[in-house]
Amino acid sequence: MNLEKVIFGFFVLLAATLNFGFFIGPLGDPEVHNVYELFAAVVVNLIATVLKFGDRTQIGAVHLATSLVASLQLIAASVVWTYATAVTEAGLTREMTASVVSLSGGALFANVVSVVLLVVETVSFQRR
Amino acid sequence: MGNPLLVLWYRMFADDEAERERGLRATAVKTQHPSSGALPHTPDWLADGNLPGMPDQPSAGILLVLRRIRIPLIVLIVIFAISVLGLALVPGEDAQGRPTRMTIFEAFYFMSFTATTIGFGEIPDAFTDAQRMWVTLAIFLSVIGWAYAIGSLLGLMQDRAFRRALARRHFANKVSHMAEPFLMLVGYGNATKHLARSLDDMGRRFVVVDGDENRLAGVDLASYRADTPTLLGDARDTRELLLAGLGHRHCEGVVALTGHDETNLDVAMTSSLLRPGLPVIARASSREIAERMRAAGDPVVVNPLDRFGDHLRILLRSPSAYQLMVWLTSAPGTPLPARREPLPRGRWVVCGYGRFGRELTADLRAEGLQVTAVEAPAPHDGGGYTFDGVDLEQASAFVAATEDDMTNLWLVERARRANPGAFVVTLENRATNVSLFNAIGVDFGLQPAEVIAHEVVARLANPALMRFLPQVPRQDEAWAARMVQTLVERSGTGTPDLWLVRLSRHESEALERWMAGDGLRLGALLRSPLGRERYLDAVVLVVLRDGTAAIAPDDDFLLLRDDELLLAGGSTARRELDATLTDEPTAAYVIDGVFAPSSWIWRKYSRQGRAAPRAGM
Repeated sequence: MNLEKVIFGFFVLLAATLNFGFFIGPLGDPEVHNVYELFAAVVVNLIATVLKFGDRTQIGAVHLATSLVASLQLIAASVVWTYATAVTEAGLTREMTASVVSLSGGALFANVVSVVLLVVETVSFQRR
Repeated sequence: MGNPLLVLWYRMFADDEAERERGLRATAVKTQHPSSGALPHTPDWLADGNLPGMPDQPSAGILLVLRRIRIPLIVLIVIFAISVLGLALVPGEDAQGRPTRMTIFEAFYFMSFTATTIGFGEIPDAFTDAQRMWVTLAIFLSVIGWAYAIGSLLGLMQDRAFRRALARRHFANKVSHMAEPFLMLVGYGNATKHLARSLDDMGRRFVVVDGDENRLAGVDLASYRADTPTLLGDARDTRELLLAGLGHRHCEGVVALTGHDETNLDVAMTSSLLRPGLPVIARASSREIAERMRAAGDPVVVNPLDRFGDHLRILLRSPSAYQLMVWLTSAPGTPLPARREPLPRGRWVVCGYGRFGRELTADLRAEGLQVTAVEAPAPHDGGGYTFDGVDLEQASAFVAATEDDMTNLWLVERARRANPGAFVVTLENRATNVSLFNAIGVDFGLQPAEVIAHEVVARLANPALMRFLPQVPRQDEAWAARMVQTLVERSGTGTPDLWLVRLSRHESEALERWMAGDGLRLGALLRSPLGRERYLDAVVLVVLRDGTAAIAPDDDFLLLRDDELLLAGGSTARRELDATLTDEPTAAYVIDGVFAPSSWIWRKYSRQGRAAPRAGM
């Protein structure tokens, strides 16, 4: 067992699960989307991105790309959330919530791709 | 240890004073080593480690830096996340004294200007004491985090000794936690690089020991699938070998292919003495060294120069056999090499230095060739080659096999001028010179590094393969050509998987029924479980029975219990055969074409029904 691979897989998966946890629920309902979960998703996604630095293989490059996409989407989502709560008068309206959650939905897609890549990488390498 | 923070970090992770002292002393000794330990009498060309190899890609350095700043960056992210989250959770008060909390954005803003020492003050409201307590902690945490991140980056450029010490600790940890069999590769020259790539493709684990930092960085950048621990150290030091896992219970062999005979000898002897019975493969460039290696134990000694003659002999006898042997000993998935034209059998002229030249001449004469040897002048007396009486114009082939590539090139040029039609064979000592030989148009060139890698792969891939390969040159050309043909038909043009199957009671229980009876024809077993009219995409290379080996048995070959089969084929065939060997209904279908019930209940009820065909077997 390779500890590096364990940590790597852990963060990639955790990034996807946290992202999913935040995303799930009615799109415009601010009650069911916890901001702390979004925060955790951003942090874990950033860690997963950094973990993917410096891999020269093709699959490593795609891994890094998906993670960058997910991180950017999530950061955009948190910027929108901050804008809604701190700048606008109306606060977290249905529209604003929907846009935060849909941005995180995009990130979720990238994270799913990441997990698929992880699975493909694992399955294609058989050691007997 | 330029950076005090790095020292602090190091102390946090170093267990005890003694350990650190030892690590530092060892590095100090090693830095002196290259001057004191130089081996002036080792042929320079053999030290393939001196080759920088192929020029590194420009992005390599950046990638190395990226890899090394991963941890500082993650530490920074984690510290920041903890601080921000804590600050958002700690209760505070607004200007009117009502309880409130900072939003995550406010906490992030506050931490950003605090951690970067800008410090705008307590906003949006004055803090409560609880918040101040948390902020105090967060300030210290973030200062450490930033300093560590920046310090690491600077340290990466400055502090080699620290990195080396840390790498040793890391290496020792990784090796001691190795939970599957691994090989120890000593030296990471061209031959070892070839070998490591093949081993990695075969899914084998290994550790690498080398005295050159740049070469070890090559391991890191080679992106092997398995985690490969590397140790920067002198393999002649027994402690280094022990650190690299010589005493580890999962160490399954030692491969010493450095360019220094003395190092290889030391490694071979140390391994034989400390771990008797452990397989050792060592490179030697002379008979004396090989003898001394064998004195202590039973290592496999690889001599690339000896092999040069062997390769030529095999190629002379049968181009197909040569093709087959090179193919089977390549990394998995290597395309089938082109079959070479038969070598000319006229008069050969051999230019080689000293005893190696004489042995090569003897090898070729043993094949019934007429050989004219051109003795090379001793390297120091500056005399030239004399081609008086050699009659180059009438020769059919010319061999340039000195230890110096430039001399070989010059010899080839000389021979070409005298006799443009001659078949030219060269020894290409350095991998970097291959393009020169290609440019001059050599008919057959042999690179010691590649030859060694092929041989070691053959020995490591599967012990049974060495029962097969030596038999190949003894067969005739037609046999070898048919073998290649069958292999390509069954498993494609990539090097096939090789695997060993033992027809014992435990490992192939489904065959017990037939094994207990008269035995089993090979042709009946090698059929696909998906349709028994189709052959499995696999070929049996050799069947081992009681110490004897049957080479490439045909379909009528009778298999008995405890036979061992070495198969070559695709991974699908391997899975299908596994199913036949372990699942009785599958076996019954494949061998007899009978659909046997597979569930427990049905088998119980049809026991009587099945007794009849069973008795008939």
